[in-house]
Amino acid sequence: VIAPRSPAITAGHRATVLTVWLALLALAAVVIWRTPFVADLSAFLPAKPDARQQVLIEQLQSGVAARTLLIGIDGGDGEKGGEQRAAASRALATALRASGHFEQVQNGGDLGSAEGGFAAVGTWLFDHRYQLSPAVDATRFTAAGLRDGIAETLSLLGTPAGNAIKPLLERDPTGETQRIAEALIPASAPRTENGVWVSRQGQRAVLLANVAAAGADLDGQAAALAAVRKAFAEVAASGLVLRMSGAPVFSVDSRAQIESEVKFLALAGTLLMSTLLWLAFASLPALGVALLPVATGVLAGIAAVGLGFGSVHGVTLGFGSALIGEAVDYAIYYLIQAQRPAQAAGAGVQPGQPAAPGWQHWLRSSWPTVRLGLFTSVCGFVALAFSGFPGLAQLGVFSCAGLIAAALATRFVLPLLMPNGARGQGTRRRLGAVAGAAVAWLPRLRRPLQALGVVAVLALLWRHDTLWQSDLASLSPISAEALALDESLRADLTSSEGGALVVVQGPDVQGTLQRVEATASVLDGLVNRGVLAGYNSVTRWLPSEATQRQRINSLPEAEALRSALAQATAGGPLPASRLAPFLADVQAARQFAPVTQQDLQGTALAPLVEALLLERKDGSWAALLPLQGVTLSTTELRQALERPDNGVMLIDIKPELDRLYSRYLGEAQAQTLLGALGVVVLMALWLRSWRRLLAVCQPLVLAVALTLAGLALLQVQLSILHLVGLLLVVAVGSNYALFFDMLHQPAAEGRAGGGAGDADISRLDTLASLLLANLTTVLSFGLIALSTIPALSAIGRVVAPGALLALLLAAALARPHVSTTGVSRTS
Amino acid sequence: MLTGLLSGLLSGLLTGLLSRLASGLSVGRAGLLFCALWAALWSPAAWAFDLKELGALLGQQRNAEARFTEERFVSGLDQPLRSSGTLSFTAPDRFARQTLEPRAESMLVEGNNVTLKRGGRTRQMTLDAVPEATALLEALRGTLSGDLALLQKSYQTRLLGNATRWRLTLTPLAQRLGTQVKQLEIEGQGPNLKSVEVQLAGGDRSVMTIEPLASTGTPR
Repeated sequence: VIAPRSPAITAGHRATVLTVWLALLALAAVVIWRTPFVADLSAFLPAKPDARQQVLIEQLQSGVAARTLLIGIDGGDGEKGGEQRAAASRALATALRASGHFEQVQNGGDLGSAEGGFAAVGTWLFDHRYQLSPAVDATRFTAAGLRDGIAETLSLLGTPAGNAIKPLLERDPTGETQRIAEALIPASAPRTENGVWVSRQGQRAVLLANVAAAGADLDGQAAALAAVRKAFAEVAASGLVLRMSGAPVFSVDSRAQIESEVKFLALAGTLLMSTLLWLAFASLPALGVALLPVATGVLAGIAAVGLGFGSVHGVTLGFGSALIGEAVDYAIYYLIQAQRPAQAAGAGVQPGQPAAPGWQHWLRSSWPTVRLGLFTSVCGFVALAFSGFPGLAQLGVFSCAGLIAAALATRFVLPLLMPNGARGQGTRRRLGAVAGAAVAWLPRLRRPLQALGVVAVLALLWRHDTLWQSDLASLSPISAEALALDESLRADLTSSEGGALVVVQGPDVQGTLQRVEATASVLDGLVNRGVLAGYNSVTRWLPSEATQRQRINSLPEAEALRSALAQATAGGPLPASRLAPFLADVQAARQFAPVTQQDLQGTALAPLVEALLLERKDGSWAALLPLQGVTLSTTELRQALERPDNGVMLIDIKPELDRLYSRYLGEAQAQTLLGALGVVVLMALWLRSWRRLLAVCQPLVLAVALTLAGLALLQVQLSILHLVGLLLVVAVGSNYALFFDMLHQPAAEGRAGGGAGDADISRLDTLASLLLANLTTVLSFGLIALSTIPALSAIGRVVAPGALLALLLAAALARPHVSTTGVSRTS
Repeated sequence: MLTGLLSGLLSGLLTGLLSRLASGLSVGRAGLLFCALWAALWSPAAWAFDLKELGALLGQQRNAEARFTEERFVSGLDQPLRSSGTLSFTAPDRFARQTLEPRAESMLVEGNNVTLKRGGRTRQMTLDAVPEATALLEALRGTLSGDLALLQKSYQTRLLGNATRWRLTLTPLAQRLGTQVKQLEIEGQGPNLKSVEVQLAGGDRSVMTIEPLASTGTPR
């Protein structure tokens, strides 16, 4: 930004600047109007994951997990509570199935009934048993194979299980249905009481529901949640309590929360700033003008994010309200510092008169410092803009664009509107006096503060390995209570610890299914060795066409089967004469075509297939095989499963996500350091003096160290967001330090317009503007520190105390006011 | 949280669908489990005439082993089905049944986990997901520990005979269990359990004869 040398503001110039400004604002407004507002979790997932993480993230964003709702029913009185909850569970499930909002509703009740289409699935599986049963191969229908199959089936007769098998005996003596059913038994299932699923202690009825609306359709998800609440209110006995969790709840709630909080923060922030500005200027026009750069900045920030990312995350907007505190500083500096010469020159000079307008004085004396402050801030935020987390990158872009726009508006628009700053005094004189007294006194604390800083640094070094949080949860906008409920409901429904997932990838559906079959046989071996409790696989009801053809081709002709059967049953308890239906079914099955994915569409199996077999964005396919009860180490499992070219990946979910987080934490640490380094380099270039650079950096380092130590004392573990906050402390604090550096330069320098007597007034005014700017920053970040959105409050809790410390330390550590120094500003 | 979303929701969904599916099929895990547990009931421990007395006696017993032979009478089959093998119990909650003839099979209950092995295949499942199986387990625990209250939670009990020759009849109270099992009849001589007869709701029945190994000291 190059300051114009011409002192006059012509009418033409004025009109041009205002027109350009308003046009840009209108353009930004149009961009914003067309930009969608999002509040889902995606901003907190990395943008450039590796192959393993990509699968996880696709699941989180659009997989079945994003549509699965966990429901719990608590309460009820004493002895009868269990039955009350069971009755409510049944009524709720019935109502939800009828509501049309859900693809599936399961509560463990009425198993085997026609509800939910599972009876139809049972029939379908039975009809296709000869292409689905893993036991069907060339030897299965020889005399020996038949004898073995029949003996296994008979071994269940005369037991309660036999009661279920007996009706099928004549059509399925070799027990293919059993083999299919057996494979579908889950290794861990919810506890059942009174005919419905309950928690392991039996104190809560639990249900699982799949929302029909897509995961990204938050309105659809919200409607489904409302349907659950409404249905529950209608069917549940009094005293029962509904609990809901899962991705739909998180997404819908966090959207509502973010929406209401953003409104609140924007309103409260504006009110707070207005109050402060009123106290400072006691002038409505001044207040209005001071808010213009802020409004410009916020509009530009949102528009830039909209252009860059295609959508704006709610958290970015919430953060924007804190940026008000930073952007308003420019206006404050301007309004106070542009005003002095006009007053000093006496009543003869009219505002707006070209003779000696205050803005020119400001342009010479303060703007370079403000501009440097802008550059340092932007330097910090640019580092964020390259973050691997879209959420953080949005904050970075928003802040850069917002601050630049606010500064430009201050530089070019404010001189047109208030060429001599704000005339109102308010309590500013007193503010200046207080600030002056404080600045005079604070240096006495210099030694103690430095000592404290050294202690803090040492303490941080000593505890450095426990300072950082090591999981992704810190980034999520979900509260700890909501997470605890989610965990308890999930434990009730699955009882499975940790989560390991095998992902099998292939170029097309059939290729993928064949690879899954190969992997499944390896997993079967592990199950038989007892090192794996079980796993799920799509090939249990959708084998590859090759496998199905192989099975169908292995079915013998009627005559061959008849003679083999006669041999197999000779002398046994089950006479061949009873098995004519079996012969007929096998002959019919020989004509069947392989089952395809399309055949399953619209059946109760479709959601299962959809959950376990996914088309990737690039057109390739991936099958998921969730593992249960793994006792092998990850390395051993990888060795057993993964080959260079078989498309198989083992994902150990928790460590994988932790690894992902630590990668991004490391990245963010590097980015933050680079950002801070950039700030220092900028200041060094500007100051061109090691001594002054050291003096400016010292309070920043101490502010960061003390803030960190304070957080550590409060047992707050640091996340990426705290790191962002620290970067902000450096970016904002550098402004304060630079102003003090400026104040301590010889009075004559850079202040051609002021006489010697003005120096003190100027100094007090600058101090007042600094104090005011600091107050606005501390208050606005203090406001978001109170936010219930963890991402925002983490930033607020670092910046609010950090910025205050930065100002106090800058004052305390400032070099004594000397009027003779060899250092001169050269820029 | 993300871990939860994936591992929890996904496996939760699958668990739900699968268990429903498995149960929706007429051959249910309930059945398989039943078979397993009901077998575990024939634990070798001796049953005394007075359950409380027996409980005190059995409470000291931490481990027990036995051989069994079983005959099942199934309507529609030409002959009864015969099998034999071993049973074992380790306090407090481990039961195993090994069928050796005519086909090798095994069932192991440890706490809430059940492991079944048939035809070279292994399956694991959760016990309390099937309340009927839990009821059978509680009957077993109740009997072995002499906890009459636990036993009477799920069954109506009737004790006939005297201390040297007795018969305990258990009739399920719960309707769900009642639709599968009509009655259990356990006969014993003194401290020794001699036979267990199970009458199924469909009219089929099985009789298991038990020879304790540990208590008689018979080498095997």
